[in-house]
Amino acid sequence: MASIPVLHTSSEFREEFFDRGGENAARCYQCATCSSVCELAPANAPFPRRQILWAQWGLEDRLVSDAGPWLCYQCNDCSVRCPREVNPGDVMASIRAMVVEKLATPAFLGKLVGNVKKTWPLLVLGPLVYWLILLGATGIHIPGIDPELGALDGRFHYEHFVPHILIYFTYFAATFFALFTMWSSGRRFWKMLGTSQARTGSFFGALIGAFFDIATHKKFRSCDRGVFKRKWGHFLVMWGFVGAAITSGFAVVYLYRETVFFSWLNLQYSYPMPITHWVKWLGNISAVALVVGGLLLWLNRRNPGDKLVGVTTPFDRFFLWVVLTVIATGVLTELFRFIAAPPVLACAVYVIHLAIVLTLFLTLPYSKFAHILYRTLAMTHERLTAENG
Amino acid sequence: MEKIGVFLCTGCGIGEAIDVDEVIEAADEVGCACTLTHECLCAPEGLEAIRGAVSENELDGILVAACSERAKTREFAALTEDGPSMFRIAVREHCAWPLKDAEEDEDKTMAAQDLVRMGLARLDGVKAIEPLEEEISDTVMVVGSGRAGLEASLTAAGLGHPVVLVEKDDHLGGLLADQLSIPPEQPPYEAPEANPIPGLIDEVNAHDDIKVLTDTGITEITGQPGQFKVSLNGSSGLEMTVGSIVQATGAKPYDASKLGHLGYGASPDVVTSHEFENMLVDGKITCPSDGRTPGRIAYIQCAGSRDENHLKYCSSECCINTLRQMMEVKKIDPSIENAVIYKDIRAPGLMEYFFLAAQKETGGMMARGEVDRIEANGKLSIHMTDSMLGDNVAIDADLVVLAVGMVPQSADGELIRELHDSVHQAETSESSKVRENSAARAEELADFEGTEILNLDYRQGPDLPTLEYGFPDSHFICFPYETRRTGIYAAGTVHAPMESVQAAEDGLGAAMKAVQCIEMAKRGEAVHPRAGDTAYPDFFLQRCTDCKRCTEECPFGTLNENEKGTPELFPLRCRRCGICMGACPERIISFPDFSVLMIAEMIKAMEVPDEDDEKPRILALMCENDAVPALDAAAANGATWNPWVRVIPIRCLGSMNIVWLAEALSRGIDGVILIGCKYGDDYQCHYVRGSELANTRLENVGETLERLALEPERVKLVELSHDEFGRIPQILDDFAEELDEMGPNPLKGF
Repeated sequence: MASIPVLHTSSEFREEFFDRGGENAARCYQCATCSSVCELAPANAPFPRRQILWAQWGLEDRLVSDAGPWLCYQCNDCSVRCPREVNPGDVMASIRAMVVEKLATPAFLGKLVGNVKKTWPLLVLGPLVYWLILLGATGIHIPGIDPELGALDGRFHYEHFVPHILIYFTYFAATFFALFTMWSSGRRFWKMLGTSQARTGSFFGALIGAFFDIATHKKFRSCDRGVFKRKWGHFLVMWGFVGAAITSGFAVVYLYRETVFFSWLNLQYSYPMPITHWVKWLGNISAVALVVGGLLLWLNRRNPGDKLVGVTTPFDRFFLWVVLTVIATGVLTELFRFIAAPPVLACAVYVIHLAIVLTLFLTLPYSKFAHILYRTLAMTHERLTAENG
Repeated sequence: MEKIGVFLCTGCGIGEAIDVDEVIEAADEVGCACTLTHECLCAPEGLEAIRGAVSENELDGILVAACSERAKTREFAALTEDGPSMFRIAVREHCAWPLKDAEEDEDKTMAAQDLVRMGLARLDGVKAIEPLEEEISDTVMVVGSGRAGLEASLTAAGLGHPVVLVEKDDHLGGLLADQLSIPPEQPPYEAPEANPIPGLIDEVNAHDDIKVLTDTGITEITGQPGQFKVSLNGSSGLEMTVGSIVQATGAKPYDASKLGHLGYGASPDVVTSHEFENMLVDGKITCPSDGRTPGRIAYIQCAGSRDENHLKYCSSECCINTLRQMMEVKKIDPSIENAVIYKDIRAPGLMEYFFLAAQKETGGMMARGEVDRIEANGKLSIHMTDSMLGDNVAIDADLVVLAVGMVPQSADGELIRELHDSVHQAETSESSKVRENSAARAEELADFEGTEILNLDYRQGPDLPTLEYGFPDSHFICFPYETRRTGIYAAGTVHAPMESVQAAEDGLGAAMKAVQCIEMAKRGEAVHPRAGDTAYPDFFLQRCTDCKRCTEECPFGTLNENEKGTPELFPLRCRRCGICMGACPERIISFPDFSVLMIAEMIKAMEVPDEDDEKPRILALMCENDAVPALDAAAANGATWNPWVRVIPIRCLGSMNIVWLAEALSRGIDGVILIGCKYGDDYQCHYVRGSELANTRLENVGETLERLALEPERVKLVELSHDEFGRIPQILDDFAEELDEMGPNPLKGF
């Protein structure tokens, strides 16, 4: 019987996994209470029971190629009901973190971010140092202080401090890097999903369906126990980021409205745009959404011991703090433009903002942020496998 | 009984249901010394009235016609302290309550009259009981010195009884003696505990009242509880008399050489849990093949257990033992990985905490699956089917530990006896066919030769009969320590599969029963189920035909046979069920208060109206252990049934003598229903096989009925458990309907 698959159990994986917050998986006695109470688990591939078993046995291959962990919204119904205090919701979160690390391209960056408990200073300070060196090399000109820039005209011109070209250079590069690595990891993930479960149907149709579910946060409705803060926090932050991304995109377009790329749009306003312009409105509404949403997420996590909330691992904490810092420094940067803040403070906050955004971009494929990739793919995959037993 | 008084209670609705005067009249017609009615016999006034009548009329028999004997038991029992015999008839439960819907009032009164007539007939036959007064030994003999045996010895000695502890090995301790630790027995039940055996051995050795005999076997045990004569061999070569016996001979691990499919024998790196324990004791865990430290140990649970081809049962301790071994492994070498493959982890009760702790502390991998086979090519490969990890998978390990189950160290007394009988028949039988068959059977049973442990001089075999899978049990739910030999109690792993702490409890319980047996024997009382009964059967041997039915059928080995085959009674072995009485074709076996004749007289006392009256009669012979209490419960719950039924409670359906059926049917009674306990594998009979024997007798009675031109269906046996009281009305009414369809008994009026 050569056809019997031999299980490749990995002790290293178990150890690593237990270390990353999954150690409770060892307590599981496979009663399947978790899978039974889960509202989201598909009937043909229920979770989280078997994922916990795989984790217990260190079956990395199976965990990595499975959609289950990404279909879990961690409402923690299972954690509340688990008779063994395994906290399957947290175990699933730990599995997701491990999968992000294992699928990372290149692998060492996955390890770097996966070990965020130890490596976070590097991840935070690296981009800051980058900006400081870059600015130091190109010359530091602080408006209001640097005599060459003249007096302030009631507004604070950050572009005098950091030339746009540096920003575009840095963030286009970072974006392309993130997109490329995510494309590479996403392709691997998608292939593996396909080998573990056959798909039928149109990819784009399913993708659009998944986008719709994500846009409306439809699945959060199925697990409505005590996740108000998480659901609305996530909703606002997600749309806030979308709004901020559109704003940034249009800002670039407006800035270069007279170049060959955008002149055909025939845009009227000169730069800087008036505060009443719709792009500004969009940006500010997005900022409000981000602040409120970020606050909700932060408050949600401030409840240690509550099983409905779950455990916050360094992986979670790092991501949340990066997002919160991006939001806070972004809002402050705008605020300092209108109030007469000390120029050095404004510039310092602006540099921190630029640095943390860079951290966000660079760690995107390896941090919790990567869920936008894996979750979307898993949800698409689920739609294509729903009818195959 | 010479002078019987009839005391009719009119309370609890009895007075309203029946015509009291007519019932009293019926009693007078039969003849009695006095009658009395009272509105509440169980009240102090009522009891006083009875006492007054007893002394005034010098009564020697009291017939209480009131409620069931399970109601107001203490109140009425007090009346017999001064000597008179009492019989109680349940006018309330058998008549007033269940017949309240009867179409004609006279039916209820007729039922009550019949009950009184039957009660008088019964009391009339009761003889005075002469309790046994025998010399009883105080000594408890404990056979086997594992945890159960040690605990039993200490318990019995602690209760002030001399103890003889017999052990076949040269040291005490049994299977647990060499174990590193035991599963937790104290809260929080999270870590292995020190092995208690050495401490217990010291305690036993230090106890003045415990005589320890190692290297000793039993050559013979004769006699009966309170007077067992024991011959010992070995260095001691003693003879002694003991009062009761605790058999705590323990269990041995299942023979792993039969587990070739699990790699045992094929690779030295496949070991049993017992062999693995030795490594733990030495503190050195190595693969026997090359002495390296294993990276991963796989524990195979249910190795040869819960398996049709091996042990069919769960040994109940192997799962916990594996958890304990995993924890010990972690203590010795934390780098070794533990993986458990199981069918079900059975961690009953508080062991759940231990299970959790073992998982938490060792991080052990646990996967459910059926192990198909284990292959050894360099590494050991465990092939699993039906696993929770996916269909068929294989897992590698360096060392495999087979958690083997336990086999009771019992001897199957009944089969040994069959072997001896077959050998005897093969040599002596006159028929060549019988000689041939017996020789074949003897060969089949040859393995049982020399397996005796207790060497009882009992007709039914030299050891305890086993119930299932070789465990000598009798009735676990009702009598958890009883075997089918009175005064001999099984404890520990020979009794049922169990873990260490249960064995301790079992030894304690069995020792208490052993002491109780001695104390009750001193008073001439039965131990159970008829605890306190001082009557025992009398054999009128002049008329015995040596048919051996009684010696064969007694479930408790009470009777031996002499060379002719005549029964020899050992009354202290007897449980008073009356199965011998039911078996005897010559009707020579009687109890002073229960006999074939007494019940026959009761049946005769029933009035059987003529066919023209259209009042059929049904006799219900019901087991007093479960069926009659169920009937009481049905009546108390407001159930009603057919007014033609007359109930006679009997000790066991096994005490039913065919004569009663003949008597009833020849008198024109339309049908006889026997209601008793369930039989078969999950029997509920308090006497193990009474209802089954009754059923066998009924199969033989069919022919006789046909000879009398009677339908065999006029006699019916129904199995009922105590909790099925709701079925009673249906059972009785259905039978009445079946009889109605058959028409009246043609023998009416002859």
